[in-house]
Amino acid sequence: MLDILSFGLVSQLLINGILFGTMYGIAAIGLSLIYGTMRIIFLAQGTIIIFLAYICYWFFKLLGIDPYLSILLVVPVSLLLGMGFYQGLFREAAALEDKNISLLIAVGLMFLVENLMATIWTPNPRSIMTTYTAYGVSTLGLRISFTRLMGFIMAVLSTIGVNLFLNKTLVGKAVRAASEDMEAAALVGISPHAVNGVAFAIGIGLAGTAGIALATTYSFDPYFGFVFSLKAMIALALGGMGSVTGAFLGGILLGVLESLGSFAISGGWADAISYGVFLIVLMFKPEGLFVRSVKKA
Amino acid sequence: MGKHLLELKGVDVRYGDVQAVWDLSMHVDEGTIVALLGANGAGKTTLLKTISGIIRPNNGEILFSGKSLVKLKPQDVVGIGISHVPEGRRLFTRLSVLENLELGAYPRKVRSSFGESLDRAFKLFPILKERSHQKAGLLSGGEQQMLAIARAIMARPALLMLDEPSLGLSPLFVKAMFELIRTLNDQKVTILLVEQNIHQALKIAHTGFVLKTGKIVMSGRGNELLTNPEIQKAYMGTLG
Repeated sequence: MLDILSFGLVSQLLINGILFGTMYGIAAIGLSLIYGTMRIIFLAQGTIIIFLAYICYWFFKLLGIDPYLSILLVVPVSLLLGMGFYQGLFREAAALEDKNISLLIAVGLMFLVENLMATIWTPNPRSIMTTYTAYGVSTLGLRISFTRLMGFIMAVLSTIGVNLFLNKTLVGKAVRAASEDMEAAALVGISPHAVNGVAFAIGIGLAGTAGIALATTYSFDPYFGFVFSLKAMIALALGGMGSVTGAFLGGILLGVLESLGSFAISGGWADAISYGVFLIVLMFKPEGLFVRSVKKA
Repeated sequence: MGKHLLELKGVDVRYGDVQAVWDLSMHVDEGTIVALLGANGAGKTTLLKTISGIIRPNNGEILFSGKSLVKLKPQDVVGIGISHVPEGRRLFTRLSVLENLELGAYPRKVRSSFGESLDRAFKLFPILKERSHQKAGLLSGGEQQMLAIARAIMARPALLMLDEPSLGLSPLFVKAMFELIRTLNDQKVTILLVEQNIHQALKIAHTGFVLKTGKIVMSGRGNELLTNPEIQKAYMGTLG
């Protein structure tokens, strides 16, 4: 057994976990932003990621646009889509005390998009094959797939970008303020619709990035999205609500746990491990692993 | 006294089956300090929330400089010159002191004068300048109340509404708070003050209104109310 658990193998598992986990991470940041101002778990997040992966796939198949080049199209499209979702679907419901209505709209959106995708692209898995799909970087006996590495870099850059936006711009600060206290935010002149719209735009914008990372690395089908949302939710619970970096780290931690767990036990256990960890964290550290709780005065 | 800056006419506010404010009429004259007094549950906080647009009145009219407020949302009310420091301060505790102040100047009209407003706030509250990079949640209670007021005046309001600013403060801070309200008033800010500390409030107020179960039961000049035997008996007996 010790022979199998060589340094190289464990490192390889760790790296795979980290690279896959970044995708959970950016999905979790999106959930965290939308939860922050709307107070709902946007359950359609994973399905929208798959949808945007299909869009990337379409750009590639129909127009021959390189998937990484399509970032320039997919991300703006997804930002607009996010804004559109808010203005079209959630604007009225967001003002209501009862958050279940917004949650139900999210669930409805999930089923709608899922079935739309199954109709357009059939339920058969799709993947993008490019000249570099099989390419990998080998160093120190470890092999890192190029597309996974690109996914990782995209995720890190978007996390940094979102952090800069939230901390350095007035609108970003308004989103943070509204996440803490929407009524107080309105009293200083912040429109709830504006910050909700921005949170949705960025959340879905991140889904665009995740969609491209997914489409270039894995095969995907219309029904993978819900599980992805659940995983993002677990990453969020691990990292703690309201922290972008925490959500990202939560995603990576979940990816590593799944990678190590499915090797140590068996591949089929990856999901069970995730949900088990989810329950344990909620039981013992519900505020998240990376959050130092500041007591509200 | 100047003209009416704020005028309420026959305002009714209901929460479901409960009526919190009944056919209430009052006014706040420009440049004055007006105290709104009454026991817990008298409707004082509800009234401030109604003025700032958080709650919509069921009936009646609210005019600010002659313009109706009843259809405006809170984010628009602050834009036209009414800042509301809510009960419990409601700071953005996870944001820094400076970020709280930046957001205080969020309305488009006042963004260009941010630097000037910040100087004014720091001049009134030098401690906030020292603490500007600290998280607001880590300030002491008194400092938090200062920040709440500083954040509100960043929007350069013509009318500042304060809901229980002295609540939970040490006697030293309470004294400073009332001095501050006077200073702000000297700087041409009209003040609508909700207070439990009736004695102190009436000492600085030009006018006072006493609320009881959503109705105004008494009103008059500050010093008159201060010596009014009924007020003495009803609200200040225990305060000696």
